[in-house]
Amino acid sequence: MISINIIEEAAFQTIRRGATVISDDVRGAFARAIEAELSPIAKKGLEDTYKSMGLAELRDKPACPDTGWPIFYIKMGNEAQIEGGFMALEEAVRNAVRRATKAGYLRATMKHPLTGFDPGDNIGPNIPDFTYSFVPGDQMEITYVAKGGGSECFGGTRQRVVAFADGMAGIKKFVIDSFIASTKAGAICPPNILGVGVGGTANVAANLAKEAACLRKIGSHHPEPQIAQMEEELTDAINSLGVGIMGSGGRTSVLAVNIEYAYTHIAGIVCATSSNCMVARRATTRVLANGETVIMNDPDWFGGR
Amino acid sequence: MATYELRAPLKDEDVMQLRVGDLVYLSGPCFTCRSKLQRYIFDEGHTLPFTPEEGSILIHNGPIVVKEDGKWKLMSFMPTSSLRFEKWGRASIEQWNLKLICGKTTMGAETAKAMQEHRCVHVSPQSVSPFLWVDAIEIRGVDLFDEMGSIEAPWHFEMDKLGPFVVDMDCYGNNLFDAVTEQVEANRKKAYEKLGIPADFEYTRLYDE
Repeated sequence: MISINIIEEAAFQTIRRGATVISDDVRGAFARAIEAELSPIAKKGLEDTYKSMGLAELRDKPACPDTGWPIFYIKMGNEAQIEGGFMALEEAVRNAVRRATKAGYLRATMKHPLTGFDPGDNIGPNIPDFTYSFVPGDQMEITYVAKGGGSECFGGTRQRVVAFADGMAGIKKFVIDSFIASTKAGAICPPNILGVGVGGTANVAANLAKEAACLRKIGSHHPEPQIAQMEEELTDAINSLGVGIMGSGGRTSVLAVNIEYAYTHIAGIVCATSSNCMVARRATTRVLANGETVIMNDPDWFGGR
Repeated sequence: MATYELRAPLKDEDVMQLRVGDLVYLSGPCFTCRSKLQRYIFDEGHTLPFTPEEGSILIHNGPIVVKEDGKWKLMSFMPTSSLRFEKWGRASIEQWNLKLICGKTTMGAETAKAMQEHRCVHVSPQSVSPFLWVDAIEIRGVDLFDEMGSIEAPWHFEMDKLGPFVVDMDCYGNNLFDAVTEQVEANRKKAYEKLGIPADFEYTRLYDE
């Protein structure tokens, strides 16, 4: 049985790491973008952002003050035993969010959508958000994502139903048009990690897009060649637009395009996009049945898809 | 593209020399705001508890600030998107005596007009680099903390060469992002071609939009 105190501490440390330490794959993509950049303003922007990421880790402070919506993805071993059960697990994670907010690792960003009431601790109805998947074993993994407001609020998240008559051209047009429409003046903090969800009901497509944007490592490809090829084609096409860092012009506009799909209805193909900020923040911790914790570099959310 | 070091309060000459694409570093006093404060002042008719001096600098942002040993400590700082404050752009320039607004993205046509009339510019970060900035900011105080909360309250900063920010709106009606948008539009057609999207492609309409 995994003790609930260990889960709360693991959740707290995962939030702290997620907010302050930028993953190697994201930093590697920045290093490549700096190398490739020709515009002096864009090159300096990329270099400054890269330097600041390093300093955030060194100083143990949030890499971006907009720590956004607190989102958790939990990969639960089928045989895992949680002290107090799943409700205790969620309460432990909420406690970790409260503590992380008080300690300044998270900004108190979540508020009531109508009254504007700010609880001051990022806790409220349906927030934080939890998504589960189930895998063999008696361990669990918790992934924290800080989903920034810039990439979410200014059109980086969109949806459209494409007719089968329009097929591949319709899907690709939706993706590139959505990106262009949301990136003017750097609103969604490009270069983004762009997630695309194809198929399923509207919520399934939107969830797949968000998971593709926030949980897939840069450099990973969908295992099916046709999807992997779409990812590469869209990455190249978007990077040929010249949007650049913060929309001021440059060669790198996306760090990756990641696509996930679900089977869909014969009547139409729901497509969704979700963009992650250039300062993409995520962290994963595995908690073993004996209470040991292991820091993971890759949420591997789609492993075994 | 020139680089300027500016010190608040700003004069007309400070602002009139700036052109889109120039870089600026800011020193001297400034204050911050987000939606809640502007709604409180401009829509609900409350008055600011302080008077911004002629030539003030405003930063659109919501910092992370914690209190340690009775002192405010800035944990992280990044300008937030100015686009969404467009409806208060003119009012803030006129009533808060602004010569410079710093924020992510840019602002719209009405603010651009007000900027031409009152000699004001908008500058924008071209990176997300809080830790190249936090050391250049000292917190001098905060107003309306109980009413607005920590993120939306107006913080008073003292800046010491905070930047660089790029001038995206000068006081002559130019906008840096217009040129990028034009370039992106020209490239869009080539991108369609690369992706195999026919030039005359039209969506089959499944619903009204």
